[in-house]
Amino acid sequence: MFLAGFLLCRALGEDICEPGGNFCISNNREDERVSKEKISKVVYYPYRIISMLLLVILFFPGLNVARISGLINRSTSLLTTGFSYGNLISNFGRAIKKGWVLESTMRLLNISSLLICVGIIVCAVAACLSLGNRKCKFLGNAISLTGSVLAAVSMGGIWNAYFQIAATTKPSKVEPMFQNFYYIMLVLLVAMVILSAAELITVGKPGKDEKFEMETKFKLFLMFLPFILLTFVFCYLPLWGWRYAFFDYKAGDTLSFDNFVGLKWFGQLIRNKSTTRDIINVMKNTLAMSGLGIATSWMPMAFAIFLSEIKNSRFRRFVQTFTTIPNFISWVLVFAIAFCIFSTDGFISSLMINLGFWSEGKNFLMSGSHTWIKMLLWGLWKGLGWSAIIYIAGISGIDQQLYEAATVDGAGRFQKMWHVTVPGLMPTFYVLLLMAVAGILSNGMDQYLVFENSSNTAQIMVLDLYVYKMGIVKGAIPLSTVVGMLKSVISVTLLYVANTISKVLRGETIV
Amino acid sequence: MSKSEIAKREALLEKKYEKTHRPHMRLKAGDIVFSIINYTVFALFTIICIFPFYYLFINTISDNELVRKGLINFVPKGIHFENYIRLLQVNDLFGAFGITIARTILGTLLMVLASAFVGYLVTQKDMWGRSFWYRFLVITMYFNAGIIPWYLNMAMLGLTNTFWAYIIPGIVAPYNIILVKTYIESAIPGELQESASLDGASHMKIFWTIILPLSKPILATIAIFGAVGHWNSFQDSLILMQSAPKLYTLQHRLYIYLNTTSNLSALMSAGSTSGISKSVLDSALNGKVIKYTIAMVTIIPILLVYPFMQRYFEKGIMIGAVKG
Repeated sequence: MFLAGFLLCRALGEDICEPGGNFCISNNREDERVSKEKISKVVYYPYRIISMLLLVILFFPGLNVARISGLINRSTSLLTTGFSYGNLISNFGRAIKKGWVLESTMRLLNISSLLICVGIIVCAVAACLSLGNRKCKFLGNAISLTGSVLAAVSMGGIWNAYFQIAATTKPSKVEPMFQNFYYIMLVLLVAMVILSAAELITVGKPGKDEKFEMETKFKLFLMFLPFILLTFVFCYLPLWGWRYAFFDYKAGDTLSFDNFVGLKWFGQLIRNKSTTRDIINVMKNTLAMSGLGIATSWMPMAFAIFLSEIKNSRFRRFVQTFTTIPNFISWVLVFAIAFCIFSTDGFISSLMINLGFWSEGKNFLMSGSHTWIKMLLWGLWKGLGWSAIIYIAGISGIDQQLYEAATVDGAGRFQKMWHVTVPGLMPTFYVLLLMAVAGILSNGMDQYLVFENSSNTAQIMVLDLYVYKMGIVKGAIPLSTVVGMLKSVISVTLLYVANTISKVLRGETIV
Repeated sequence: MSKSEIAKREALLEKKYEKTHRPHMRLKAGDIVFSIINYTVFALFTIICIFPFYYLFINTISDNELVRKGLINFVPKGIHFENYIRLLQVNDLFGAFGITIARTILGTLLMVLASAFVGYLVTQKDMWGRSFWYRFLVITMYFNAGIIPWYLNMAMLGLTNTFWAYIIPGIVAPYNIILVKTYIESAIPGELQESASLDGASHMKIFWTIILPLSKPILATIAIFGAVGHWNSFQDSLILMQSAPKLYTLQHRLYIYLNTTSNLSALMSAGSTSGISKSVLDSALNGKVIKYTIAMVTIIPILLVYPFMQRYFEKGIMIGAVKG
């Protein structure tokens, strides 16, 4: 034990030999305690890593050891298998009715999975407790030993369920299958049992009057941990989906080396004529509409400047209140509004008919002309008043003495606007402009999706909408992933460039 | 930004007008022309912003026959509220309403609590790896994997076609966390936390008894933004609920109704047929009224809260601006 500890510590480059060389005399109890602590510290690394790995495995359908039949949904993770019996047997209705699979088998599978899940979650909790003092550690080790033994034993239940299913009378329908990952999982669990036991021994029993304690920094971290996990799962984990760009994948397939195609889809963007034509058209629309947005980005500033020239504060308030409302309704509702004003029997048409100008209604929404301008105008209708607020706040922050000085110098209204107000608002304008440039590829898709129809689809198809249509509607997942991936990379690069420009020119960053 | 600060800004603005405009007691012709143009332009734009809502509204409460003929342009005629009452009989819509309200309340509540808690945690300097984890969180605002990987990820987690897909991904909202963090750092004195922790209060206790009550203004702001976001959400329903029409949000339902052709049989087949009763069929010969009414029902909650919440909206954008 002593030797092992010595070697381990040597390997880690930690200097545990005290100056007097006490450590080398093994019959010192104090030293033995120290070396035990060192061992436990080292053992805790694999312990924590394995418990976290096991926790992650619970969420991956691809690593579901309980998927012992082809009838179990491909997207069912071990967690779902354990916690949702209904989901587990959703495809088994017929198989159970005809007696191909016994319901008790499925119950066994369900309960075993549940116990494995519980055991693994308990281990994860124990790994968190390992950051605390000896009492926390001891408790953690005790429960992780229980949990890992529970989980390891429950693996037997899955094994058993597999053989029950394999003995079915209708293998072609039930498709019994054995996950090779089972062995890896078993090894991990057994390792967890051993490590927990080792920790239980090396940490030792806490003193009777010891209390549960943990350093503040770890306590705070553990409180933060759930949110870190959520962020990881919903913001970082999707990046793992980029791998679909390198496979020949259709919904329901699995990824394997057989359908690995390398950069084929990237090449298709350039080589396949019709795809290239689509992409060029989409890029044209995207850049045109973002460009129009950027070209009109001075309008909120003008709106704010002229609004602040209005002396009647009640009127000003009124304008501000009612021009910001459209910002708070969704694009679907904007479309509903567009529908009631511009469709065949909408406001414009019925007014024109009532006044006798037109003999029948026109549907402006179904025409493909001036689509870019129309989209720009809808964007302005929705956002102009709202975007102006930031500038209105900016105007009230401009030093009054500047205006007074300008008045003394004989500046007129417009001169004051141009030489005092506008320069005062420029920093805000620059930041928003740079952000707009960085987001040039991201127009969002809601607006274009709701306004899209057969006659304007060629002009309205922006990148986000194209990716949605291709991936979700048509099911061309790899190609749409490629496009989305390129878009993300370009956007981040643009943001980085914009940030650098801002740093160089203005000495401050925008993000 | 506190209430008093906003008031101060208002006052400053007032003062500015006095200062800039008082010296010229006699108005010049140019000023008058400028004012007339300025007022007119703003009045026009404001009308353009409000009129559609008004038009939509008067068409839902006017006599349906007149609406069908397109005779209701500016003034409602034959006022009745039948359409709204009959809309209650459309089952799909009722469900969508319930789903949307549920997600708005639950989603907003969890998001606000999480933002407050995380915002508080990241102000605690002695947390292990604080700046790293804070950046880990905040950086997610600036990149995303794209819509397809996001969808595949949700499918992998088994969240597609479940109600929780609306709630769980929205719990951690980095931008709101930044807002709360900035607010706590600037508006809640550190001594308050220190003395509490000297008295033996745990972090949880400090959070519940000091941070939460004192950061109410900012929490109200993010709650309102969150609630509006949930109410308006459409994309997640569209993409994630493909085989669970019962979980469609109100906006998604509205989108479906708007896109069905004007005749009512098509509208009925868009939803489950059982929902629309004969009486609705009779009353809305052209489906137009029904579409208008559904749109109005979806807008009304926002119009109702808006006047009360406006100052929070504006506060929100200004706090954001301070950060930017």
